[in-house]
Amino acid sequence: MDNSFKVVVDGNLEYNITSDDISKIDALQTSPNSYHILKENKSFSAEVTQKDFYRKKYTVNINNSSYEVVISDGLDLLINKMGFALSSAKDIDSISAPMPGLILEIHVRIGQAVNEDDPLLILEAMKMENVITSPRDGIIKSISVKKSDAVDKNQLLIEFE
Amino acid sequence: MKKILIANRGEIAIRVMQTAHKMGIKTVAVYSKADRNAPHVKFADEAVCIGEAPSNQSYLLGSKIIEVAKKLNVDGIHPGYGFLSENADFAEEVEKNNIIFIGPKSKAIRVMGSKLAAKDAVKNYDIPMVPGIDEAITDVKKAKVIAKEIGFPILIKASAGGGGKGMRVVEEEKELESQMKRAISEATSAFGDGSVFIEKYVTSPRHIEIQVMADSHGNILYFFERECSIQRRHQKVVEEAPSSILTPELREEMGIAATKVAKACDYLGAGTVEFLMDADLKFYFLEMNTRLQVEHPVTELISGVDLVELQIKIARGEAMTIKQEDLHINGHAIELRVYAEDPLNDFLPSVGTLETYKLPTGKGVRVDNGFEEGMDVPIYYDPMLSKLISYGKDRDEAIQIMLKAIEDYHIEGVQTTLPFGKFVFEHEAFRSGNFDTHFVKNYYSPEVLNKKAEEEARIAAVLAVKQYLEDKKILRIPIN
Amino acid sequence: MDPNLEKLKERITLAHIGGGQKRIDKQHLKQKLTARERVNYLLDEGSFEEMGILVTHRTTDFGMDKEIYFGDGVVTGYGTINGRLVYVYAQDFTVFGGALSETHAEKICKVMDLAMKVGAPIIGLNDSGGARIQEGVKSLGGYADIFYRNVQASGVIPQISAIMGPCAGGAVYSPAMTDFTIMVDQTSYMFVTGPNVVKTVTNEEVTAEELGGASTHSTKSGVAHKTSANDVICLEDVRKLLSYLPQSNREKPVSLHYELGDEVRDELSDIIPDNTNKPYDMHDVINGIIDEESFYEIHEDYAENIIVGFARLAGRSIGIIANQPMFLAGVLGTQTSVKAARFVRFCDSFNIPLLVLEDVPGFLPGTDQEWNGIIVHGAKLLFAFSEATVPRITVITRKAYGGAYDVMNSKHIGADFNFAWPTAEIAVMGAKGASEIIFRKEIMSAEDPVKKLAEKEVEYAEKFANPFRAARRGFIDEVILPKNTRRKLIKAFSMLENKEVSAPKRKHGNIPL
Repeated sequence: MDNSFKVVVDGNLEYNITSDDISKIDALQTSPNSYHILKENKSFSAEVTQKDFYRKKYTVNINNSSYEVVISDGLDLLINKMGFALSSAKDIDSISAPMPGLILEIHVRIGQAVNEDDPLLILEAMKMENVITSPRDGIIKSISVKKSDAVDKNQLLIEFE
Repeated sequence: MKKILIANRGEIAIRVMQTAHKMGIKTVAVYSKADRNAPHVKFADEAVCIGEAPSNQSYLLGSKIIEVAKKLNVDGIHPGYGFLSENADFAEEVEKNNIIFIGPKSKAIRVMGSKLAAKDAVKNYDIPMVPGIDEAITDVKKAKVIAKEIGFPILIKASAGGGGKGMRVVEEEKELESQMKRAISEATSAFGDGSVFIEKYVTSPRHIEIQVMADSHGNILYFFERECSIQRRHQKVVEEAPSSILTPELREEMGIAATKVAKACDYLGAGTVEFLMDADLKFYFLEMNTRLQVEHPVTELISGVDLVELQIKIARGEAMTIKQEDLHINGHAIELRVYAEDPLNDFLPSVGTLETYKLPTGKGVRVDNGFEEGMDVPIYYDPMLSKLISYGKDRDEAIQIMLKAIEDYHIEGVQTTLPFGKFVFEHEAFRSGNFDTHFVKNYYSPEVLNKKAEEEARIAAVLAVKQYLEDKKILRIPIN
Repeated sequence: MDPNLEKLKERITLAHIGGGQKRIDKQHLKQKLTARERVNYLLDEGSFEEMGILVTHRTTDFGMDKEIYFGDGVVTGYGTINGRLVYVYAQDFTVFGGALSETHAEKICKVMDLAMKVGAPIIGLNDSGGARIQEGVKSLGGYADIFYRNVQASGVIPQISAIMGPCAGGAVYSPAMTDFTIMVDQTSYMFVTGPNVVKTVTNEEVTAEELGGASTHSTKSGVAHKTSANDVICLEDVRKLLSYLPQSNREKPVSLHYELGDEVRDELSDIIPDNTNKPYDMHDVINGIIDEESFYEIHEDYAENIIVGFARLAGRSIGIIANQPMFLAGVLGTQTSVKAARFVRFCDSFNIPLLVLEDVPGFLPGTDQEWNGIIVHGAKLLFAFSEATVPRITVITRKAYGGAYDVMNSKHIGADFNFAWPTAEIAVMGAKGASEIIFRKEIMSAEDPVKKLAEKEVEYAEKFANPFRAARRGFIDEVILPKNTRRKLIKAFSMLENKEVSAPKRKHGNIPL
């Protein structure tokens, strides 16, 4: 099993704690969650006020100051190293027709800068006017269709820079 | 006096009301729109909203307050500290409206309100003063001559300034001209009055003040001293009574000098005479504060007297029944002002909500408090949350009790001066009594607090992992 | 020191190394975690109990006896996810490329049997190159053993397959028969025959990713129910999915604690546009009804004209089927019906109540649909709804035309509660089409036929494009204000908590497949 952990306190102080560090600390347990610690003859009173075992997050009170501690083991570090973020942002460069239909209106020109959710064009399908909005901020690189064109599903409509 | 209006807010309003209730007097609170939920409003018997949040639209509206007082048939107005407490015009208006102003006469306020006028009033009473000139100057050449006479370093002070504002130290002659010009322009824009005066800059100064009380029957008493040398940006953070360095002789000398100052301006009520003490234990008169001060509790604890009660009695025209010989110092008291400020960020105000706010309790602990858990710290007013006061049989015990109280004082949601206080009371210089007003400058930096925090953080990290490894050993079975 | 103890320690260490550090590093370089890392991440900290770590294969042909690995390329056992018991098997790509052998399959079958006996979900993390060719027919037999158990377990315990690497050839049938398949983008693929054989037989040039990658199966074929960006997100997706499901068909899903408030959602009042031909996003309606952030969509990019997924209503886990007007006007088609039907049947198997949000103008016309059997596929959905005995409630937000009205959980096929918004239009067809037919003579003989048609359209719409006719007959139980939908639904589902309906005795119906 893991013998060393990377620990982050309050989001910005990082430490590498080994099982050696744990055995060296002079901590006397005074009650289920409280300890009295002697370090270089200085006295500290400590209390674990919050525990989240599964997420490896603990809140520890040292001399009435509270610290939030997040523990990462080997697997967490590996995942971090491999760059697996827990959320993925999609970078969309082109927009294709989501369904077959007719281009009713085109609201943008080549070179225009658009913001997320700006309307780009109107695709009529099944007698419904569908407004296609921009998925991100960007500049229009090319527009492959014109008004009144009939398009197939997945046909390229607009490209971003 | 059956009903008093407290023209103030926060902890001092509650403090005054507590004594009033003790005396069977009804209380009226005034509040701004931002303070509707403030404790002082709930504590009073009656409360009236007097305006919008900014002070100049509420707590500083003297005429509005007097209007309210008249409407509710108030007998006396207690101004607390700050706001209108040293506003001579307000005191005068109150008197004109046949309401008792619980404080000095407006004339005394006016005289002591100007440092120059104060010095002038006092000079016939043989009170030692800091070498300097007695009049305001604007002429740099003249200033140079005087400065040479007094001897550098000198201090340029704005006549209309206060609370530490408008002061500049000049070490050498060649800086004098530019500093003078800057000081005058600053004073003009800050106080509307560009007059400055020069006095000797006392090195290693200690700030020691004497509490005085004068009644309308000619009795003036002094209630011993308070040491207020722990300041940052010229504002007091820690005060104690008695001072750790005064001898009984010095105490008597200063006490008598203070009463003379009070006499000089025909004083009435509670007041504080401030002195500067140098390394040779020589003291110099600085100024007089014509109000009840923030740090009055430490005096109350060592003398066993309720100063607010005395104020009210005096305002009623009663004579003081205590004599000077009856007053003795009993024990030692220390006060820490708990401000919602971030000591790691140059003590800038820390805004937020008091998510956790639990007061310490116990023997020797007194908290003059103005907030409750869940309240927002309003941005319109002074960021002082409370005063944490400890009282012990001697200085060491008072420090011990204070340290424990700081640990037991739980505040989450804003940064406070509590960790700074802890640093002060643990510091060797403070504990030995060997400090002056340069204490913060000499010993304190955010790094010092940070280092302590880092040490604690590491311990927290090790402890968390220890706990985690313990938790790991516990057998976990699927829940059904 | 007991020599056996030494041997034990040694073997366990070897088992943990799998195919060796070099192969582990290669796996990491490909942005894939190893089997053990995946299991450790998937399950609650410290909960995993491994079974069969010392199993090895028994093959001697082709010099296989010289190469043995403890665990034989698959990590199997049980643990907990959020405290609830689950069984898991994870194929180890570092051992023979995760290839399946007789013993490898035996290990998987063992956990599947246990899962069935105990009644807990089974999760398969697939990452395998296929059958171990050296084993010959024995590995094929191994596959079949697994398939048989998939079927025995189907509808008894939830089965989830995560495809986190290759899954080809016969191996694909196991995920195909499990309840949900989640694929990792870019690093996984599924196909029966790979690109190489395809090239030689049909001369098509196609990459593995194009042929059977995650996006292909999420959008074109519908084989994958969800695509995850990487291994970690995939495992999180599996954890989240399980939270909506019960442990087995003998139980109901666990509800989360919820404090009821007034539950009025004003944002729903303005969702339906005034113009009946203007679309709106049904996701907004869903979000306006369910607990915040509780929607877990299935088949998000496939047959987008219908939305299916799990959600919570006051903490209660429900399944949602909703037409999506923003896509092809929300019509029902071949793929649409199949997508929804399978979801309905899954929820029915596992006691998950159903909520139907209806805005459907009918079925998609065209030769493509007709020649691909829209008749039979549409019937699937009708069958699935009719057959379901879980509580089912419908809310008609706008259109409910024609046969599609019947199909989308109408009262007549056994829905427990049918609500309609005031904007509902329940009719045989839209006003325009209907007027053209009914008033044909009048329109043709009119002076201005176009104007007459428009007139008649308005007349028809006023009379029929509303929920009141249906309400008068009790086909709709209540016409409700959009902002009260959530309130009504919470109460209704709570009322239906103990619903019990029995079906006629039969081995199983004959749903048109």
